[in-house]
Amino acid sequence: MTDADLEDVWRRSAPPVLAAIVRRYGDFDAAEDAVQEALMAASVQWPVDGTPANPTAWLIRVASRRLIDQHRSDKARVNREQAATRQLPADEKHSPAADARDPYVEDDAVLLLLLCCHPALPRASQVALTLRAVGGLTTGQIARAFSVPESTMAQRIVRAKARLRQVDARFSLPSPQELPDRLTALQHVLYLIFNEGYTSTEGQTLYDVSLTDEAIRLTRQLHEQLPDCDEVAGLLALMLLTDARRAARADADGSLVPLSDQDRGRWDRAAITEGTRLLETVLGRGHVGPYQLQAAIAAVHCEAESWEETDWMQIVVLYRMLDDIAPSPAVTLNLAVAAAMVHGPDAGLRMIDPLLNDEMQSRRNHRVHAVRAHLLEMTGRHGEAGTAYAAAARLSTSIPEQRYLNSKAAQLAR
Amino acid sequence: MKYVILIHSNPEPWGHPTQIYTKEGRELPQEQHDEMDREFDALMNEISASGEFVTAEALADPASATLYRWSAGEHLATDGPYAESKEHLAGFFLIDCESRERAEEIAAKFAQPGGVVELRPAMWQGGDDH
Repeated sequence: MTDADLEDVWRRSAPPVLAAIVRRYGDFDAAEDAVQEALMAASVQWPVDGTPANPTAWLIRVASRRLIDQHRSDKARVNREQAATRQLPADEKHSPAADARDPYVEDDAVLLLLLCCHPALPRASQVALTLRAVGGLTTGQIARAFSVPESTMAQRIVRAKARLRQVDARFSLPSPQELPDRLTALQHVLYLIFNEGYTSTEGQTLYDVSLTDEAIRLTRQLHEQLPDCDEVAGLLALMLLTDARRAARADADGSLVPLSDQDRGRWDRAAITEGTRLLETVLGRGHVGPYQLQAAIAAVHCEAESWEETDWMQIVVLYRMLDDIAPSPAVTLNLAVAAAMVHGPDAGLRMIDPLLNDEMQSRRNHRVHAVRAHLLEMTGRHGEAGTAYAAAARLSTSIPEQRYLNSKAAQLAR
Repeated sequence: MKYVILIHSNPEPWGHPTQIYTKEGRELPQEQHDEMDREFDALMNEISASGEFVTAEALADPASATLYRWSAGEHLATDGPYAESKEHLAGFFLIDCESRERAEEIAAKFAQPGGVVELRPAMWQGGDDH
């Protein structure tokens, strides 16, 4: 077994093993230590004895044994076992064979995902804990992916676990009242992870993990366990359809290429097919949520041969629906761009007036000015468009985007 | 999103915390300084717990700086201070938070007698293709 094979088994096995151990014993920290020790034992024994037929069950057995050994020397052991027993459903109070635990392993990962998105934790901590506990990433990998020092990321994770202990968060399915919000929080966390990976242009080469791949993998796992949850399917479709464009979004020198100018031949057709198929199964079902709508919009773009040939009317309809259920400045701006393609740029300009009159938006949101510039350019008012591009550039905090906006401003000033 | 909070102040003599060494700070009663310290500790605990605090440093006397100026010939190195103005950079905090509004909420609590607090967004290498 090569080092690479072993690493692969670690990455895949650690999260479900951790989930199973946390489920049984409730203590995140002790569980992590036990799983680490089991993985180390595996790294020594498996190259000699060969990989067991069921690596996950092996690891759960060994980690459980380590934790029980640890508890034997602990005075509070009796209390903990009683508490753990109280949490187990009646048919699990008799300890089953390790192999019999397997059907629960996948569900455990979903429970762990839900636990990591507990409302007591700030969003950044939910993201960090999810990547650590379920993604199996190291603290260093997560820190690099989010461009913060490792110590900062370690703190977030340590405090997140402490906070969960403090609020006595249970490793169990949230109550029927809590579940919808928790699932929404989880989807948001997964989308944040995806977006961080997707928008970091240098992310794929600089870092040793791909956050987009991680987000897609975890969302796929969630979708497999919750096939009836349409928004999860929508989220997965959105990620696939967005990630499909990755190869075309930056040119050779790293500059960002806007959607309108991308070489669509470089889009990943397999990912588009999968995303579109996923959407087709859910969109007919009735209740349409924001992720499904965003995915549907992405699908319309992915189906089009070019910016000009895009079914803009369909996109307008979809953004109007999104505006109804989840309005935001981004939705208004995108709707304006689409509306301009159907009804002309002046219609689009009228739509963004409320944002220009909103103090916070016009003073801080560079996209308001970027979209205004784009629409003015469409009308032929090049002088004003140039000024608006320059305003957008000054407000932008993205280095490649700022470069793009400045070049548009310079281009139109001529 | 990352933001820097820059503390500009004119403590005399140079010292930390800067607000006890400024003219405006000296005019305040000790109880008010104690209250401000308590509030600042609470803020630091809050942003450390939330993971929004990344790093910070208090800076040495501006006279201890070395300044490097480029020219086509030789590069010139001279002793500090840099600023011609009354106030000097006294310290910085790097925070990572979800929105501009949140950054402003945090930065507002850094306001100090005799100083000017500047909140500036940091740039990042990523971007959106919309």
